Amino acid sequence: MSYPRIVVLFGIAISIIFFAISTMLYSRSSLSDQNSSKLDTVGGHTPGYPILKTTGDILDPTSSVINPKNAVVDPMKYLREFNYGRVSTSSNGTVIRDFTLIASDQQTKEVSPGVFYNVWTFNGTIPGPTIRATEGDLIRITLINQGTKFHSIHFHGIHPSEMDGVFEGIAPGGRFTYQFTAEPFGVFLYHCHMQPLEEHITHGLYGVYIVDPKQGRPQADEMVMLMNGYDTDFDTENNFYTVNGIPFYYMHHPIQIEKNRLIRIYLVNMLEFDPLNNFHLHANLFNFYKTGTKLIPDEYTDIVTMNQAERGILEFSYKYPGMYMFHAHKTEFAEKGWTGLFFVKDNTSESVNQNLNVTSTMNNTSYSKSNFSNATNIVPTGGLK
Amino acid sequence: MMEREETNIANTYRISKRTILFGVVPIIVIGAMIILLLNSPGILFQNSVKPLPKISIEKVEFSDGGIVAFIRNTGPSNTTIAQADVNDRIHPAAIEPSRILTRLADAKVIIPFVWNIGEPYKIGITTDDGTRFEKTVDSAAPAPRPTVGQVSTFAIIGTYVGVIPVMMGLIWYPFIRRLSPNKYNFFLSLTAGLLVFLGIDALLESNEIAVNTLAPAFNAQILIIMVAIVSLITLLYVSQRLIQRASKRSKPEIEYKSGYSSHSEPDSELSDIRSSSTSSQQQLLIKPIAISMMIAIGIGLHNFGEGLAIGAAVLLGEVALSSFLILGFTLHNTTEGLAIVAPMAKSRRIPVTKLMIMGLIAGGPTIIGAWIGGFLYSPIATVIFLSIGAGAIFQVVYSIAAWMYHTNGSRGLLNNHWIIMGFAFGMLIMYLTGLLV
Repeated sequence: MSYPRIVVLFGIAISIIFFAISTMLYSRSSLSDQNSSKLDTVGGHTPGYPILKTTGDILDPTSSVINPKNAVVDPMKYLREFNYGRVSTSSNGTVIRDFTLIASDQQTKEVSPGVFYNVWTFNGTIPGPTIRATEGDLIRITLINQGTKFHSIHFHGIHPSEMDGVFEGIAPGGRFTYQFTAEPFGVFLYHCHMQPLEEHITHGLYGVYIVDPKQGRPQADEMVMLMNGYDTDFDTENNFYTVNGIPFYYMHHPIQIEKNRLIRIYLVNMLEFDPLNNFHLHANLFNFYKTGTKLIPDEYTDIVTMNQAERGILEFSYKYPGMYMFHAHKTEFAEKGWTGLFFVKDNTSESVNQNLNVTSTMNNTSYSKSNFSNATNIVPTGGLK
Repeated sequence: MMEREETNIANTYRISKRTILFGVVPIIVIGAMIILLLNSPGILFQNSVKPLPKISIEKVEFSDGGIVAFIRNTGPSNTTIAQADVNDRIHPAAIEPSRILTRLADAKVIIPFVWNIGEPYKIGITTDDGTRFEKTVDSAAPAPRPTVGQVSTFAIIGTYVGVIPVMMGLIWYPFIRRLSPNKYNFFLSLTAGLLVFLGIDALLESNEIAVNTLAPAFNAQILIIMVAIVSLITLLYVSQRLIQRASKRSKPEIEYKSGYSSHSEPDSELSDIRSSSTSSQQQLLIKPIAISMMIAIGIGLHNFGEGLAIGAAVLLGEVALSSFLILGFTLHNTTEGLAIVAPMAKSRRIPVTKLMIMGLIAGGPTIIGAWIGGFLYSPIATVIFLSIGAGAIFQVVYSIAAWMYHTNGSRGLLNNHWIIMGFAFGMLIMYLTGLLV
């Protein structure tokens, strides 16, 4: 056989390999063609900003909704969801509340639009469920560890040493029931206290724990807000800041409240890495009850600043209908997700629509009516159940 | 017996079907392995951790009402872009053509943003696993658009920096013609010094771009060395071929010193050429005018790279083009003209038009480079052109050294203090004028 024919054969062999590789690469790259042939707009949220049309994809965490299947939490559900446990009464008349928390550390969930993070959770969400009881109730919380590491629950409040969740970790597959009397009244938090502590907290093992005073608090539209952050690239600096788990969520799903109705927010700061965090309310002031352990307010203000694990109760009502922001007045946090909207409705539905139209055109916002209809209706919850 | 041995020998060089099999089998096996690995990564490496993504932000442009980041997936696998930010503050953005980037694929991230001229900006890109990649722009400036005004601005800059200095250097031609051999050697080695400096400068410059702008996936540093070496040996080959062909047609132009022919020849490459030719002396060396042309081409490539760098600097907002900077480049480049005229100063008179053409070959590419660098900046292209230029310059240095070695006869190169001084002085001039830039 002659030399040129060899060359031809080699050429064929090599070109077959290249063909194989290139078809495979192409079949992979065709993934990216799925979303094409549409024209989206971006940039219309801020007054004075150009609106851009694109044939590509939109990267807009301020208006895009996470698929509930992947989302680390449903912030609208979390906002007004208070868990009172399985209630029973002991022989001496004490109310017993039983809770079950399942710890896991293997899931990857969407914590900000498009960003997936290995979350460690109580009952599958960040923040974990809000646990609520009345002063003097007996609380029994069973922790089931379905994770791969030791976990525990450390509650703030008054309880015996062995119920503190610090020295005894629950092994993977194990379970333990924490049992203590709810005292004193106030707003508290719970979190995993295993080492390395920062790692267990920043991955998401925390939640809010509320103890109501025996005499109750005035009737109000109550909600819980937990401020946190996510360090998704592990450089001990947060990449995202949120209230109730997902950045910018209440920007595209404003919290609907009623004009002149008393609003009560149980506010907890669980932010890791940054030494402070704060809450600022627009066009209004609120009564602030530090740690919620007194029934008289400590301050009448429009901003409260908290270190990690600090918390309190905010009470206010809106005088005028319309759209109002609330956000961290550490503006870096606000621009990385810790920002939201109250949509104050007048009692009549017509004026609501009018107000909505006015605010939409004035701010040049792109909120559609469907966004509002998605928002959960107000479920008025009394101070006590 | 004899016959069999002959057929055996013939068989050694003939390729049978079995031999082909041995040649093709490894390629087929490799192909099968590639198909297997690409199609079933889950089966083979079930426990392996997902490789870390890597996004390179290659270029950031500031336009009317927005910032555009040109990004490339330089990681080992496909990556999805999640979010974009300006100064570490999240902003809505668009990504074209798609947020899913295959390996080495690129995309354009457009962030509507009202930016301020002259302020530094950090552009960040976050991938779907939450990793953030950042690029700092020292000073925001509107991206040059290929308008008539901008095109002519770059042309004027290129003329100032490239064409005028080289032409000024060419004016030294009559002066160098009248120098004594020692002083002439001084200027020739001065030229070599200038060129060595330029070559090192080009390598360092391309290394800087490779390290700062290009992703490690391109292996750009090894690319620089590779391109420089290939360009050096290719040009050596081309120049040797040119001389061989030229010497067949023309008579030698140079009268060598009488002592030269008795001088022993240590360079095997050169002796090879000598043995293959009829007249030993004519074909030994590149003719001076050829050296000059080579220098002009080499410097042209260098200036092309310099133009790219200037245009890119304007585009990237890294530099505000001041008249001082242009003055610095002008002084720096004047010596390049000297480098062109020195080798041919002692040969027969060169017509002015030929000089002018050489000047244009050396200086003109600055303008083209500035256009390309300013309007379509590509770091990888800049690195490649600078490396080619470096290779070309070292080839010229070799030619000058060989030329001086032979014209100096028995004295050699390193015995002549004029040559040593000239070489050192050449590099010093470049260093000092380089301080102005």
